[in-house]
Amino acid sequence: MRERLSTAWLVADFFTYQHRLSGRMNVRYNKLAGQLNNTTTSFLQLEDAYISNVERPAEIIASYTSTVLYKQNITAVVVANQEDGLMREQTYGSYLGTYLRSVFITVPSFEIKGYLRLSGKLDLRTVLTTGTDTFVPILDGQMVSSLRQDVVFSGGAILVNKNHIGVFCVEEKEE
Amino acid sequence: MAKILVIDDEADLLEMMRLVLERRGEHETVLSAEGRDGLAKALADPPDLAIIDVMMPGITGYEICRQLRDNPATASLPIIILTARAQPVDRDAALSAGADAYMTKPVMMAELLEQVDALLAKRRAGEPSALAGMFTLLSLRGGVGVTTLAVNLAVTLRQANGGAACLIDLCPSSGHVALQLGLRPQPNWSDLHDSGARALDADTITAHLLQHSSGLRVLASPFFPVVGQGIPQEMIQTTLRILQQQFPIIVVDMPSVLNEAAIAAVKAASAIGLVVAAEPPSIQTTIGTLRVLRQWSDKLHIILNQITPGPQPPAEAIERALKHPLTGNIPFDSSQARALAQRSPLALNNPDSPLAQATQRLAQTLSR
Repeated sequence: MRERLSTAWLVADFFTYQHRLSGRMNVRYNKLAGQLNNTTTSFLQLEDAYISNVERPAEIIASYTSTVLYKQNITAVVVANQEDGLMREQTYGSYLGTYLRSVFITVPSFEIKGYLRLSGKLDLRTVLTTGTDTFVPILDGQMVSSLRQDVVFSGGAILVNKNHIGVFCVEEKEE
Repeated sequence: MAKILVIDDEADLLEMMRLVLERRGEHETVLSAEGRDGLAKALADPPDLAIIDVMMPGITGYEICRQLRDNPATASLPIIILTARAQPVDRDAALSAGADAYMTKPVMMAELLEQVDALLAKRRAGEPSALAGMFTLLSLRGGVGVTTLAVNLAVTLRQANGGAACLIDLCPSSGHVALQLGLRPQPNWSDLHDSGARALDADTITAHLLQHSSGLRVLASPFFPVVGQGIPQEMIQTTLRILQQQFPIIVVDMPSVLNEAAIAAVKAASAIGLVVAAEPPSIQTTIGTLRVLRQWSDKLHIILNQITPGPQPPAEAIERALKHPLTGNIPFDSSQARALAQRSPLALNNPDSPLAQATQRLAQTLSR
């Protein structure tokens, strides 16, 4: 009786400057992180997207069966389960490393706290500039609205778009 | 075995739910892959429990939940919102819409079945503890029977719950709650106001409550009309807060003006019953009142009170005029005149009367 009722579809919360889109995407062949960091396309296809304004994030203002997101404009993506926020090759830890560092990040409209998984020496420049991945996974993340501190989104992972990061603070000591 | 309606646009999940509920839970299932179809099924043949997704094309699960709550036939239906929107704000939205439980996808089958069983058991037990809250009844058009409904509702809730209940008369112009209960309105909230107590405490307020033979406690309004502002907002806020700590059930008979005290009571209420009579002035006033009250509360219920005998306009016509569904429909009851003369509410002296029966249904609905 431990089975979960789940399907090949992943539902995630996608955030732009002003909106929250809850949409589902097929992750049977490519995980969410893989699709976000896929440099061969600038767009992300969602099915059944439900849109809310970030100031009233529970109120659904519109819904569409087919939606395309311009990945460059996504500030962050919140997923419930940690493994849903990692690339397929990252899932077992060796690529990202096993050292956890507490981080504080700002993106437009939100402040994000969580943990960054590193392989060893802390080097922010490496984290932010090395590699082609645009979205960095913050584990056990909590995202708070900058304007309404009572509006909180949390998930096993928050994929943050590096191009929208304003402030990136890292705790020196390991967790 | 219970009949469970599942509304979810995800076909795979719908099928899995059917298997789990039928094979492991041994329940009968009714499935719907489309929100409006599911709502229609629920209204046409109410199930014992509904499991509703939020994100569906055409109509959201929240809206389905609200419409089920607004319909007397499904107002007390146990509802589980099952959604992939898994944030705290989503949980609040689900419960605000009227859901009894909120679960997130992917859901553990064991947890889902436990929740289903718990809600069905609660429903079977008659949910006496659910009959709690603060209920305000009002109409800005006088003479539509608000006080009669408030008195009967308070008595009904007190009997159903078996615990402490308080009825507050906020009318500043010789309220009639005490009259209908055969009580002398002394002391009353005007005395409380004049007592000079700088900080109201529970003892002071309790000392100003009347005791009715049914067990109901009453904060009466003064016999003589109050000149001026009436009960100050701060005082009513404090009084309501203290009374809510002492009484699981509070019914407020509201004045037919939106003064400071009335606004404070509206804001504190768990449900607001707007009483409307089937006559144009009352309907017009109710349309305006709805518009004003929506800025303070979304827990508004319309109660049609038939205060005259004979043919009445259909309830649907009144719903159309108000653009709001009716939560309750109280039939004209000729025995009410005698109850008034005897100063004993029908809910007490004639519980099988049409008015008392309708009030019982209303109590169940407002308590959700």
